[in-house]
Amino acid sequence: MSRSITLGQYLPGESLIHRLNPRMKILALLLFLILLFSLKTYGGLTALFFIALGMIAVAKVPFRYFLRGLKPILYIVVFALIIYLFFTKGGVVLLRIGFITVESEGVREGIFVIARLFTLILFSLLVTLTTTPLSLTYGMSYFLKPLRYFGLPTEEVAMIMAIALRFIPTLMEESQRLMRAQVARGADFETGSIFRKAKSLVPLIVPLFVSAFRRADELALAMEARGYRLGARRTRMYEDLIAPRDWAVLSFILVLFSAALAFGL
Amino acid sequence: MFIGTEKLTYTYMSGTPFAATALNEVSFSLGKGEITLIIGPSGSGKSTLIQHLNGLLKPSSGRVYFKGQAIGSDKGELLRLRRRIGLVFQIPEEHFFSETIYDEIAFAPRNLGLAESEVRIRVKDALEKVGLRAEQLQYRHPFQLSAGQKRLVAVASVLSMNPEVLILDEPTAGLDPSHRRNLFALLDNLNRSGGLTVIISTHHLDDVVALAHSVFVLQGGRMVLAGPPSEIFTTREKLYDLGLSLPSVTEIMHSVKEKGLPVKTNIYTLAGARQEINRLKGRPGR
Ligand SMILES: Nc1ncnc2c1ncn2[C@@H]1O[C@H](COP(=O)(O)OP(=O)(O)O)[C@@H](O)[C@H]1O
Ligand SMILES: [Mg+2]
Repeated sequence: MSRSITLGQYLPGESLIHRLNPRMKILALLLFLILLFSLKTYGGLTALFFIALGMIAVAKVPFRYFLRGLKPILYIVVFALIIYLFFTKGGVVLLRIGFITVESEGVREGIFVIARLFTLILFSLLVTLTTTPLSLTYGMSYFLKPLRYFGLPTEEVAMIMAIALRFIPTLMEESQRLMRAQVARGADFETGSIFRKAKSLVPLIVPLFVSAFRRADELALAMEARGYRLGARRTRMYEDLIAPRDWAVLSFILVLFSAALAFGL
Repeated sequence: MFIGTEKLTYTYMSGTPFAATALNEVSFSLGKGEITLIIGPSGSGKSTLIQHLNGLLKPSSGRVYFKGQAIGSDKGELLRLRRRIGLVFQIPEEHFFSETIYDEIAFAPRNLGLAESEVRIRVKDALEKVGLRAEQLQYRHPFQLSAGQKRLVAVASVLSMNPEVLILDEPTAGLDPSHRRNLFALLDNLNRSGGLTVIISTHHLDDVVALAHSVFVLQGGRMVLAGPPSEIFTTREKLYDLGLSLPSVTEIMHSVKEKGLPVKTNIYTLAGARQEINRLKGRPGR
């Protein structure tokens, strides 16, 4: 059971954040990002950063998962910092090497931009770490619904995404088992030239395709047997109703917006 | 100890929130030339255990032995080990990829680097061992075969490595009774005439216990019972508790005893049952 949801970064949990409606989580993320980019002062940014930390604490997600998520952007951070340090002028000169100067305004802005980036990633990770990919898909398809009026089959696209998400872990597990099965018959996937390696993939790819097509057939049959039709309106078994806690979160964000406006943060 | 494990523990996806311990300090051993059964309900760890025996999975802790030596992690050594210990996976025909039965069975010997003339002999031998006619079948597509024949080809595709040990993971899953009996008879024959050591995992005991020298019972990743079949099946309740059923013959003997006749219950072959009933009737067994 647990194996079918290892895709993405989702960590199972029971916290308030986990139980929020996925639509509301996506909306909240959007609002937080708007707020984040409209903040102009250090005070406001610091406040929002701590709010993010507070929400992480509520979600009870170990902080190391966030650190892991921050790692890939480390190079961008260093690069951005260098750009800001050397090219943004203003304020007092802090450092002078020949004709290159580092000025206080550059330091201020560089750190501000990086802090904003960190906060942005914290909020995004908070959503992906506490929501199953499937819920995320359904949540997003809700906001894409208006596109139906432009002829986009949004329900079907959501269904395709959901099915793909459902089967990616299955196929990954299957390919691992296949690999072991062929290794048991003396296959070697590691050594040899590129040409040999490509050829050695045949015993993996052929059975994988065969089983994927068989699965697709069975799934289509099962869906039709249960009345699935293209273009039909679906209802969901677990309706993602908006609960009071969702309204509470939305109100909280609106309060933050008002505060930011009122105090000119 | 010919093959065995010592406090073998294995955890899938360790270090993630999805970590699942599939084997917990499993220790067992079996002798050369024996037929060994590993039984247990689904999810008890049979497949995981089996894949350790030829080094496909590496223990999280503990050791696996072959011929008294611990299996290491040297690549060349593992390669040689896998040639000597053949493993037929669960539903092995799902792993077919060749266009002809010949190529499918030739896969393993070709991987061993044998010359094509030698490969040809190996394929013919392997098909013969599983009771299929090479001339008739070898250039047909594997998917043209019946379920039972596919399974036999899968077994042949491992036998073509000439392994000393043959491990089969639930080899009769999805087979009808006649194919099941055929497969077991064939394994029995390979064991008797060729001295092949055979390890079979299953949760369906009919037709196979009669061949076994020893039986190991897994439950939730632990080895909970071990012994020769004549000892394992005396306590019905214990096996029921483990979510397993007895061989049908043993089941019948238990019922007969409950009806009040003084029969022995550690009987698991038809011949044994016949003998016991004849004894009760006062006639000498055949
Ligand atoms: N690839 C895998 N990833 C994670 N868990 C697994 C994997 N394969 C098996 N398991 C888990 O390990 C346990 C033992 O599985 P397995 O060895 O396949 O049992 P059996 O063959 O007796 O049915 C089960 O709980 C199963 O869910
Ligand atoms: Mg299994």
